[in-house]
Amino acid sequence: MKLFESSHDFHYPWDQVTAANWQKYPNELSSHVVSVDILNRYIDPATNVLRTERLIGCKQPIPKWLSMLVGGQEYSYVREISEIDLSTKTLVMKSTNLTMNHLLQVNETVTYRPDHELPNSRTHFTQKAEITAFASFSRVCDKIEEWSVERFGQNANTGKQAFESVLKTLTAKWEESGVFVVDIGTSLLNDLNHVTDKTSTVLAEVSKLGNVFKDKE
Amino acid sequence: MGNIMSTSFAPECTEKKTKYDDCFNKWYTEKFLQGKSMENECVQLWDDYITCVNSALASHQIKPILDKARQDQPFTSEEIDSAIAPKK
Repeated sequence: MKLFESSHDFHYPWDQVTAANWQKYPNELSSHVVSVDILNRYIDPATNVLRTERLIGCKQPIPKWLSMLVGGQEYSYVREISEIDLSTKTLVMKSTNLTMNHLLQVNETVTYRPDHELPNSRTHFTQKAEITAFASFSRVCDKIEEWSVERFGQNANTGKQAFESVLKTLTAKWEESGVFVVDIGTSLLNDLNHVTDKTSTVLAEVSKLGNVFKDKE
Repeated sequence: MGNIMSTSFAPECTEKKTKYDDCFNKWYTEKFLQGKSMENECVQLWDDYITCVNSALASHQIKPILDKARQDQPFTSEEIDSAIAPKK
């Protein structure tokens, strides 16, 4: 198992960050994400915590050699659970892949909380991904895990920059209208290309693992 | 490509999903975050949407792998809480 960890400060209020978070998938540029469905959603009457279960669908551009390993499924799916606690101002999301998990299991945890010093204008983001590869040879597993961690790091960097841009656009709209916007325009969707949680990206790009196997054979 | 933002994994559910999402996002930003409402105000739209989704989960054979993940990695509220436990 390999661990990827990262953190970042967004210079936007926590509530705006959480509102933007619902509206980021899918979009034209992150074409590997093809669907998002809400499977369960409820508010715990005792705690007022909003809990949501989502199913995120990704295209799987699998080469033939890998298709034999994973059963030739056209789509891969990720299950995500999120909890939003207004009283403590925390958003936590946990996700795991439903498909290909005999080859690669990615367990991701993302948190958003107001910054300690500037709670009304800054949001602290953390991301942790546990990546475990299951292949026959340990060296191949190592390679897959190393590659996945590397991809996670690359995506996370662009993701943070892109999310900053999304928040900037949203904030301008909110200031103009006086309320949070419900409808996000196409240009904003493009900005949403690289988002901060990357489990689905890693899965979609698992096809590149072909090179790893070729190296070893 | 039409409304790419609100696509369901099951095409027949996408329109229902879009309607529900619109309702939810409005409620979330204008009511929930403001502390004005802790009631789900999109019940009818949700019922239409989730009925469609549940049927599609079964027919697309996603239900079994979903249920397995729910069992293997339930991501309970306790697990969620431990992710934000005070450090040090």
